[in-house]
Amino acid sequence: MTLAQLQDHPVWRALLARIPMLIALGAVAAVVLWAHFAPGVASSSSAVSSEAGWESFSARYGMSYFGEDGQFVRAVQNGYNLFFHTYKYAPRFTRSTATDRVNACGSCHTAEDLAYAFVNSDRFEPRIGRRLSFEDQVRRCYIASLEGFAPTIYEPAVRDIRLFARAVAHHLDLTEGAIRRDGKR
Amino acid sequence: MAKPAAKLAKIALLLFVLGSFYLVAVHRHAERDAVRSTPVALTPDCVQKLDRYGLAVGRLYESPYAFERTGLHKSLRGYTEEDVRAIQRGCNIVDDTHGRLAQDPYRDRWNAKRFIRGSHATCNNCHQGVGDKQDAAGNRMKGSLHLGASWVMGDMYDRFTGLLLPYELRQMQCYINASNGYKPNIADDVIRDVTAYSRFLSAALDMTIATHYEEQGIDEVTASATHKQGDDYVRGELLYKQKCMHCHGPQAIGLEADGRVVAPALAGPNAWNMQSRNNFYFVSTVLAGFICRNMPKGQENTLDNQECRDIAYYISNLPRPAGDRQGPVVALQQQLLMRALPPLLRLTESSPSKSAAPAAETRAQPVLGHAE
Repeated sequence: MTLAQLQDHPVWRALLARIPMLIALGAVAAVVLWAHFAPGVASSSSAVSSEAGWESFSARYGMSYFGEDGQFVRAVQNGYNLFFHTYKYAPRFTRSTATDRVNACGSCHTAEDLAYAFVNSDRFEPRIGRRLSFEDQVRRCYIASLEGFAPTIYEPAVRDIRLFARAVAHHLDLTEGAIRRDGKR
Repeated sequence: MAKPAAKLAKIALLLFVLGSFYLVAVHRHAERDAVRSTPVALTPDCVQKLDRYGLAVGRLYESPYAFERTGLHKSLRGYTEEDVRAIQRGCNIVDDTHGRLAQDPYRDRWNAKRFIRGSHATCNNCHQGVGDKQDAAGNRMKGSLHLGASWVMGDMYDRFTGLLLPYELRQMQCYINASNGYKPNIADDVIRDVTAYSRFLSAALDMTIATHYEEQGIDEVTASATHKQGDDYVRGELLYKQKCMHCHGPQAIGLEADGRVVAPALAGPNAWNMQSRNNFYFVSTVLAGFICRNMPKGQENTLDNQECRDIAYYISNLPRPAGDRQGPVVALQQQLLMRALPPLLRLTESSPSKSAAPAAETRAQPVLGHAE
């Protein structure tokens, strides 16, 4: 088939007539594929960067209880990174820049705060008139304190902070509903 | 003039439909809020369980069970009225998922039934003792699928899925596979109330976060813990007829009497599906462990490991619904087997001997979900 014959072919002509629609479909497909694969690229990797202070934190809070390495330990380490370097590890959910080092969870909270918040979470909150989960609280922090956007509760940016809190709660030997003895809330 | 009028009418109709959806959603939302603030009518087992653990509204909570065991007073954060109701609803869902004991299952159990395909599955079938099985002396039992122990170990690596599995997602798996049903939303009250109940159990029993307790999960029976004779269908069938058939029926499709489940189905449309951890072909150690520790009722711990594996092997060979990974062809095949086999077997099988299968009237078994 020659080029001229191809150009005269009814299928080719029908396609040419639908170019705008095809472009629109292509754009939709590209967005769907991007949404499907792009977030997974980062989260499917189990490698975690080691930030300064992790080694001492790990030793201080007995992380070796959970093994020297493993999925849980890496998730906790990612939680540590998120907690102290939020601007760097959750840039999609914070509005700050990499130079804005004040804008991290660790600027307002300690690891202990987080552990106590975790074991006291999922209770009815009279101020807002509904039950508030730990994940809800983390998401509120992203929106309000970090001036950013709310991740879904499945995001590693939320999940790993919960796992980090859980690991610290274990070290502090906390039970559900444990009360702080130092008077802090 | 007619055209713009028709166009306006179309827009008005569209707005009306959308507005109606919005109003229905608002109404449903208000309805759920009203249920959340309604006092909860507890099942008899939940009354007993929650009374024993001293659940009450207050600024502080102190577990009578923990005090009895340790002699120490340990004050924890107390519960508001809303928290107490959530825990009570969670207990009811675990004990009576279908709402058979409820006046209005839709309201009292958040209609948890809509997430279950069959009519037999309830959390308490596996998580016995309303998720907190204890012996006569009040000791928690090893491998009893304790909900409080599961909660404190939530988020840990799950070897069956390869995930760091949150407690809420684990519940969803139960609905999908063990109940052969549908997945509730993670924020659904059905899920959150059971989480609230499980968290309360962990507080009442003084369980610390991320600590493994023996009562978590199943006391699994591995092949290496047997006589190493191999798992045997024929031995399993014989044992099933001797030990299990009285309650679960000759084809393991369960027993219902007066609208109540006397013994749940182990096969057939009301049973767990092929993707459940109860299915021997998926995880070969779980069902055998459950049988060894919990069956037969009143004679627990009398079967040896090999017998438990043989029975589990036999049960898993019976037809059951396909799971979400088996695909439509297997699903169709299983559906055909489930429908065709029972009548065929009834025709071909000789009636069981009296010693193996007492008459239905003598099946004096406690109603499942109410036996500790």
